[in-house]
Amino acid sequence: MSQKDAPKLHNADLTCWNCPAIDLAGKVDFRACGQSTEAFRKELSDDSDIQIMAECKRRPELGLFDPTGITYEQCPEWVSTPYGYMLKDMRVMILGIDGYLGWTLALWLGSLGCKVSGIDNYNRRDQVMERGAHTIVPIAKMTERLHAAKELLGIDINFRRIDIADRARLREFIEEAKPEAIVHYAEIPSAPYSMIDAEHAIEVQRNNTLGTLGLLFMMRDTVPETSLLKLGTMGEYGAPLTGRPLFEGMFPADAVLHWDNREWSMGGELTPRNPVSFYHVSKVQDTYNVYEACKYWWLRSFDVMQGVIYGVHTPQVADDPRLRTRLDIDEWFGTVVNRFVAQAVVGIPLTIYGAGEQKRGFIALEDAMECITRLICSPPEPGQYAVVNQMSGYYSVRKLAEIVAKVGREHFGLPVKIQRLENPRVEAEKHPFEPIYKKLPDEFGFEPKVPPEEEIYRMFELLMRPEISERIEQKKHLILPKTWWSGEKRRVETIEALTEETLKERLRSDEYQFAEHPEREKILKSH
Amino acid sequence: MSHAVRFTGANFAEEVLRSDLPVLVDFWASWCLPSQETKPIMEELAVEYEGRVKVGMLQIDQNPRTRDSYQIEGCPTFILFVKGVEVQRRKGAQSKQALREMLDAICSDGHEKRRVQNNS
Repeated sequence: MSQKDAPKLHNADLTCWNCPAIDLAGKVDFRACGQSTEAFRKELSDDSDIQIMAECKRRPELGLFDPTGITYEQCPEWVSTPYGYMLKDMRVMILGIDGYLGWTLALWLGSLGCKVSGIDNYNRRDQVMERGAHTIVPIAKMTERLHAAKELLGIDINFRRIDIADRARLREFIEEAKPEAIVHYAEIPSAPYSMIDAEHAIEVQRNNTLGTLGLLFMMRDTVPETSLLKLGTMGEYGAPLTGRPLFEGMFPADAVLHWDNREWSMGGELTPRNPVSFYHVSKVQDTYNVYEACKYWWLRSFDVMQGVIYGVHTPQVADDPRLRTRLDIDEWFGTVVNRFVAQAVVGIPLTIYGAGEQKRGFIALEDAMECITRLICSPPEPGQYAVVNQMSGYYSVRKLAEIVAKVGREHFGLPVKIQRLENPRVEAEKHPFEPIYKKLPDEFGFEPKVPPEEEIYRMFELLMRPEISERIEQKKHLILPKTWWSGEKRRVETIEALTEETLKERLRSDEYQFAEHPEREKILKSH
Repeated sequence: MSHAVRFTGANFAEEVLRSDLPVLVDFWASWCLPSQETKPIMEELAVEYEGRVKVGMLQIDQNPRTRDSYQIEGCPTFILFVKGVEVQRRKGAQSKQALREMLDAICSDGHEKRRVQNNS
């Protein structure tokens, strides 16, 4: 299909104003920065139609020009990709590039032609080892990973072993690599890990909150036009029992506060956050730090409130065992679906906490990579702090266990059982849940492509390989939780075992349906 | 497709000051969250009041001279112009209903038309 016949890409009309290659600093009169613009104003006569001018770092030959005049569609530096127009050889830096998401994204972006750089301090490897666990999908050392990426996929990754807290070295690396987008995955992503004891809670908050805060100062001083894609979590919002929708960060303008016979628009006010662990608190603190930095310094950021992520597949990581990304199943770093499939593979019942009616947003690994790529392609405006809720559907934990059980039984002949355990967390087990997640589809053209059944199927395929199921066997004693939010130190007790018969009964009932996935029918048809 | 007009310093005189229809201008900025949340409402109002009021937005940082000449001190600021003259100004986020009230005050048929739409 020629460019002409192709449908207009969602970011075709964005201009240099949004582009990370623009050099605005000192040229545009940023309200909060108090930057002098006198020199540039002289270039503009008072009756000129143009009121601002800037320069392009990629095309210095343009000199000073109106940054609102050239669109991505018109600019030769922006080229068409399946995810929107993207800067040619776009320079993207991934913080936490050795992790579950970081490594996957590095290969994903590399295969799209991005120039990928990244840092990691191997925190995740160390912390999983500290808990006595290991990734059940074996992963290569970073040196070998880099070599394999080059040899098998032709991707050059500029990697440095740097801790995000080492600001001098990170700053030097940013100045060298000059990223046009920074994806920030360099946070400790575990609620239970932050609830082990004071030391762990402090470490999580120090690494996450102070690491991000330092990064913001660095970006102000080195790459203020670069967009920051910061990973938050849907867990920042909590689950209000009133059933109030979980908006994308802010109240819409039509949300009105009534009080004392008067009313005000709540539009643009951050919605209340109700974090459910000290880890989630660190993410909430980040939200405020990033928002303030955008306001004070005209940084631009997407705060990505990601649903619970699961899965093992992208075309790149599945290409070769040396390219695989990690998969954790222990109580601290194993997310719920990943844990369920591992349990099913080694024949231990899937464990749901409490009633199991906790509802969460979910997204498969590959869909998450697509979302992030689309956001990289459409940077926010200078000063814009934007929030997106990144998920492809929502389910109760019990229903997900039932999906895993169904796939395991029907396609892999496994006698999967489900049991309910005491809930070690402090959370509502039955609650209304109405997440709003319209921005990614409406503004960035995202459509979920991977239904849970499909990704769970791929997970079984991988995890049932003998070399991997052997690794699950070795660490299966670390799946059941013993980290209590209350501080107790004991194993959780089983409340109820759901036998295969109970389960069959339940599967036959009307309760068993995936109707929450908005695109479910369409997705199933397309596969 | 955008229904709200994108006003700039370059088209302000033509599109706003010399407009035959009354014009609602939302002076907004990218760093302002209430401004961001107002965008969809402006789109909806542009459709709802088509042919009666011209509805659009002006990015104040891209148009600093226009911003300064109207002494915009915070955003979003909504100014209603009739025949090039400012007749009403509101500061801060407004609900769609509040903006409708502003527009209906100068469109006598406003209430009537909306009632018909609601019934249809």
